[in-house]
Amino acid sequence: MSLALTAYGMVGGLPALAPTENPTADFSDTPLWLALVKAVGVFVYLLISTLLVIWFERRVIGRMQQRPGPNRNGPFGLLQTLADGMKAMLKEDITPAKAEKVIYTLAPMITATMAFVAFAIIPLGGTVWMFGHQTPLQVTDVPVAVLLVLAVASVGVYGIILAGWSSGSTYPLLGGLRSTAQVISYEIAMGLSLVAIFLYSGSMSTSAIVSAQSSLWYILPAFFSFAVYLITMVGETNRLPFDLAEGEGELTGGFHTEYSSMRFAMFFLGEYVNMFTVSALATTLFLGGWQAPPFISAINDNMFGGGWWGLLWFTAKLWLFMFIFVWLRGSLPRVRYDQFMRFGWKFLIPITLAWVVAVAFIRGAQLGFLGDSKLTFAGRELSVATVVIVSIVAVIALAAAWIWDDRRAQRAAAEDEAPPEEIDPFEDGYPVPPLPGQRLVEPRPRLAAEPVLSTASSSSAGGSGASTTLKEETHG
Amino acid sequence: MNSYVPILFMLGLGFAFAALSVFTSLVVGPKRYNRAKLEAYECGIQPTPQAAGGGRVPIKYYLTAMLFIIFDIESVFLYPFAVAFNKLGLFALVEMVLFILTVFIAYAYVWRRGGLEWD
Amino acid sequence: MTAAVLPALSNLSTLPAAFQASEVNYVAVMPLFIVFVTALIGVLVEAFMPRERRHRVQVSVAVGGLLAAAVSIFWASSNLGLTMGLSDGSTNRSLFALAIDGPALFLQGAILLMGILGVLTMAERFGGVGPDAFTPSGASTPGSPVETAATRAGALTSEVFPLTVFAIFGMMLFPTTNDLIGMFVALEVLSLPLYILTGLARRRRLLSQEASLKYFLLGAFSSAFFLFGTALLYGYAGSVYFGDLSSAISTAPLAMNGLLLPGAFLVFVGLLFKVGAVPFHAWTPDVYQGAPTPVTGFMAACTKAAAFGAILRLAYVGLDTARWEWSNALVIVALLTMVVGSVLSVTQTDMKRLLAYSSIAHAGFILVGVLAFDRTGVGAVLFYIVAYGFSTIAAFAIVSLVRQNGAEATHLSQWAGLGKAHPVAASAFAFLMLAFAGIPLTSGFVSKFAVFSAAVGSGATGTVLAVVGVLCSAITVFVYARVIVLMFFSEAPAEKVEVVTPSAMTTFSIAIGTLTTLALGVVPASLLDLADRASQFVR
Repeated sequence: MSLALTAYGMVGGLPALAPTENPTADFSDTPLWLALVKAVGVFVYLLISTLLVIWFERRVIGRMQQRPGPNRNGPFGLLQTLADGMKAMLKEDITPAKAEKVIYTLAPMITATMAFVAFAIIPLGGTVWMFGHQTPLQVTDVPVAVLLVLAVASVGVYGIILAGWSSGSTYPLLGGLRSTAQVISYEIAMGLSLVAIFLYSGSMSTSAIVSAQSSLWYILPAFFSFAVYLITMVGETNRLPFDLAEGEGELTGGFHTEYSSMRFAMFFLGEYVNMFTVSALATTLFLGGWQAPPFISAINDNMFGGGWWGLLWFTAKLWLFMFIFVWLRGSLPRVRYDQFMRFGWKFLIPITLAWVVAVAFIRGAQLGFLGDSKLTFAGRELSVATVVIVSIVAVIALAAAWIWDDRRAQRAAAEDEAPPEEIDPFEDGYPVPPLPGQRLVEPRPRLAAEPVLSTASSSSAGGSGASTTLKEETHG
Repeated sequence: MNSYVPILFMLGLGFAFAALSVFTSLVVGPKRYNRAKLEAYECGIQPTPQAAGGGRVPIKYYLTAMLFIIFDIESVFLYPFAVAFNKLGLFALVEMVLFILTVFIAYAYVWRRGGLEWD
Repeated sequence: MTAAVLPALSNLSTLPAAFQASEVNYVAVMPLFIVFVTALIGVLVEAFMPRERRHRVQVSVAVGGLLAAAVSIFWASSNLGLTMGLSDGSTNRSLFALAIDGPALFLQGAILLMGILGVLTMAERFGGVGPDAFTPSGASTPGSPVETAATRAGALTSEVFPLTVFAIFGMMLFPTTNDLIGMFVALEVLSLPLYILTGLARRRRLLSQEASLKYFLLGAFSSAFFLFGTALLYGYAGSVYFGDLSSAISTAPLAMNGLLLPGAFLVFVGLLFKVGAVPFHAWTPDVYQGAPTPVTGFMAACTKAAAFGAILRLAYVGLDTARWEWSNALVIVALLTMVVGSVLSVTQTDMKRLLAYSSIAHAGFILVGVLAFDRTGVGAVLFYIVAYGFSTIAAFAIVSLVRQNGAEATHLSQWAGLGKAHPVAASAFAFLMLAFAGIPLTSGFVSKFAVFSAAVGSGATGTVLAVVGVLCSAITVFVYARVIVLMFFSEAPAEKVEVVTPSAMTTFSIAIGTLTTLALGVVPASLLDLADRASQFVR
C-alpha cells in the first residue's frame, strides 16, 4: 500500500503533465460545498444500492434454486435487508475476552470506510446543472485516480488482517491470513491487467479514460485485460467461488467468526460496497463508463447520452456486473485454496505480464515507434508495423495455446492409463486397498526386501554434512 | 479547490457512518453477561488456550507478502510508463521490456525453487 | 491538484520539462552491465540446471562473467565521462547518474579481480558436493532433522555465487554513482546479499546466524542514517546530484547550514559504517568472526574498496566545497579508528577477530589518505585498497584451511607451532602478517608510505594524522609479530591441528594474493603510477 502511495506521489508530482493525463472533467465551477453534496449523494446511492443488491442476490439465487427467496417485508420483500439491518443493530455486540479491544472495534470500521472512499473518483455521469452550478456527476477526479482505488483497496485489507488477528481466536486468525494472502495475490494480476488500459488511454484519471472511450470501449482492444479483471475482481472481494476466507467447512466464518451485531454488519456492508467499487471500476475502464451504449448513442445525435442520462447507463452497467457476481455464486462451488493460489500466481500473473508486453508493442506500432510505412487493405490504411506485431502476437498466442492443449491432452492421457493388474498393498509402507479388477501380489517376506538405506545420499552435500545425513538415515 | 479534498469527504462520511452504527448498536443492543459467551468460538469445543501456532504465523504468508511487494513494485513502475507511453518512444519500450524480463527471471527462479507452491 | 502542486514544483526544477531519452554510453557502462547479466544468468542456472552440474556451471559463469567485465574495463577506460542521464539545456545542469572516471574504473577493476579470488575461495569443496563453507539451509540448527531434510531434498548452496555476483555489482556501482539516490541503491544492492551470505556458515551456525542478524540490523540502521542525510542534503540543495550539491554549497546562504552539516554527517555515518570506522565499527569483529571465512575475506577486501570509493566521491566531488565544515569530524573519526583498531587488536585471541580489528585499523590508515584532499591522496588510497584487499583475501583463505576436527581452528592457541608442521602455509601467512604490519618489501609498507606521505604533504593536520598512524602501526607490528612468534617458536597444542590441502582454486587465490603482496612491495611503481593516473574525478 505504501508503495502504491509513494508511486502516486511520484506520478502526481511530475510537472508538465500533458493535457491528456489530467482529468477531462471540469471541476472549475464546483465549490467545496457542492462537492460535499455530491459526496453525500454518492454515499446515499451506495447505501441504497447495497440494500437493494442484498435483496437482489437472495431473490435471484432463490430463483436459481427453485424457491421464491425473501418476499415478506415490503413489496416483493424489498425491505428485507433493512429489517435485517435493524435486527443486527438490536443484537448484543460481543467482544471476546481475549480480543484486542481497540483494534477489534477499529477493524470493521476500516473495512467499511475504505470501501466507500474509492467511489469518490468514479464518474457516475456527464456534466449536469446542480444548484446553479455546472459540474460533473463525479465527486472528484485526480490524475492518479485508478491508482488511488488500488491504494484504498490495499488499506481495506488492513481491516481483514487486523480483524483476524485481534479476535484472539484460531479460526479468525487463519481466515484473516488466508484472505489477506488471497487479496494481495490477486491484486497483482489486477494491477497488471490495468496497465493495458493506461497504455491505450494515456491517463490514470477516470474521467479521461471514460472520454477516451467515446468511439471504442476498451473491452474490445483490451479484451484479455477485461477477462483477467473479471476474475481478479471476484478474488479481490472474497466472493464465491473465491470466498475461501470463510469456508464454513474448515474455518467457520473466517476472519469475522467472532464478530456480531453491527460490527459484523460493517464487514457485510464493506464486502458489498467493495463489489460495487470493483464493478464501477470495471464499468469505467472497460465498458465506457457512463456513456450510452453504441446503438442508443446513435439515436438523434446522442440525445440520451449526456447529463443525468449517464447515471442511468452507469447504473445499468454496474448492475450487469452485480448480476454476474450473483450468477457466479449461484452456479459455482468454492475452489480449493492451493488451486486458487496456484491459478493466481502461476497462471494469471505471467500471462498478464505477457499480455502487457504484447499491448505495449501493439500500441508502439500504432503510434509509429516501429516504423511509419503504411499499406492499404480493403479501403483502410493500416500501418505495416501494427499488422506485423498483431500477427506475431496472434501466432505466439496460438502456439502457446496449442502447446498448452497438447500438454493437457498428454496429462489427461497419462491419468487415464489403466491401473496395473497387480498391486502390492504395502508397497509404500501404508496399506492401500486394491482398485476394482486389481489382484493382490503374493506377499514377500519383509527381510528379503532390499535395504532401505543407500539411495538418498547421492545428492547430499559433502564433508561432515554427508556423514550427518547418513547417521540420520541409519537411526531414523 | 484542491481535487483531493472531496476524497476526504468520502472518508469522513464513511467513517462517521461506521462509527455511528457501531456506537448505536452498543447503546441499543442488550447486554447479558455470560462467561462462556465471551470465549473464543471453536464450534462448541473447549477453546485452545492460544491461537494457532502460539500467535506465530507460517513462513508461507511472509513469503507471499514479500513476493507481493516485488510484483506490486513492478506493476507500479509500469503505471507511469504506460501513462506516458505515447510520449516516450521506442527507447522506453525497449527499456520496459528489459525491466519486465529482469523481473521475469526472478519469477522463474521463485517458481522453480517452489516459492509459489502452496501445500 | 495541479493548481496546488505546481507552485511548489516551479521553484524546484529538478526534472526537465519534457521527456528526453537518457544518453547512455554503452561501452562505458559495459563492465557493470556484464556483471549484472552474469548475476541474472546465475539465477537462471540456479533455476534450470540439473543439480549435479550446477556447482561447476555456477563457478564458471561467475568467474567467466567477472573476467569478461574486467577485460571490458580497458574499453571503458577510453570512454571516460558522465553517462546514464541527460544535460538539461534550460538550466545548464548535467543530470547524470553515473560517473565513469579514473577512480571509479580503477575500483571497479580492483573489485572485479578481488571478487574473482573471493569466488574461487568460496567455491572450495574439499572433495564434497557443494561449497564446503556454506550450508544448504541457513535457518536450521546443525545436524537437526530440518537440515537433514533440506539436504535430502537436494538443497544446494550454489546460490552463493549469484548472490556474490549481485554484491559485486552493487560494489562496482557504489563508487561510480553520481547522485545520492543511486549511491543508496548501490549500498543496498551490495549489502543485502552480504547479509544472507554472512548467515550461511556451515559450522558454528549460531555464531553465523547471530552475525547475520547483527549485520542486518546495524546495516539497516546505517542505511537509514544515509537516507536521512540524503533527505537533508536534498532539502539543502534541491537536488541529489553531486554536481548540484557542490555548486549549491558554494552559492547557498550560510543560514542553510542547519541542513547541510547534519546531512553531510549522516551520509558519512552511513558510509563509514560500511568501512567499519570507529565509532561505527561495532559490527565488524562479530560479523567477521561469524561469517563463513571465504565470505569474510571477500567482504573485507571488496566492501572496503567500494565504500572507500563512495567516501572519496562524496568527499571530493559532492561535498568538496564544504570541506572545512566537516573535515574535522572525519579527522577525529580517523584518529579514533586507528587507535581503537590497533589497541584492541592486541587483546584478541581469535584469529578472525584479530584480522577484523586489524581491518578497522587499516580503515583508519586509509581515511588518513582520504583526508589529504589532493590527487596524491586519492592515488594513495586507491593503491592501499588494492594492496590490502589482495593480502586480506589470501589471509582469510589460509585461515579457512587451518582445521581441528574438521572445524576451522581460529583460536590463537591452536595456531601455536603451525610453522613446524606446515611450513608453507605458515610462512605465507607470516608474510601476509608482515604486510599488514607494514614491513618493507611488502605491499603494506608501500601503501602506508604512500598514504602517510600524502597526508604529511597536505599540512599540519595531515602530519598529526600521519604521526598517529605510524605510532598505531607500531602497535599493530606487535600484534602481528606475536602471531608469527606463536606459529614458529611455540609448542604445538596437544590436539592436532592440520592444514587441509586445498583445491587448485583456493591455492590459486592464496598464491595470487601472496604474490601480489610481494610484487607490490618490491616493484610498486607500475600500480602506483596507474593509481596516480586514475586519481582524477570527473564532475
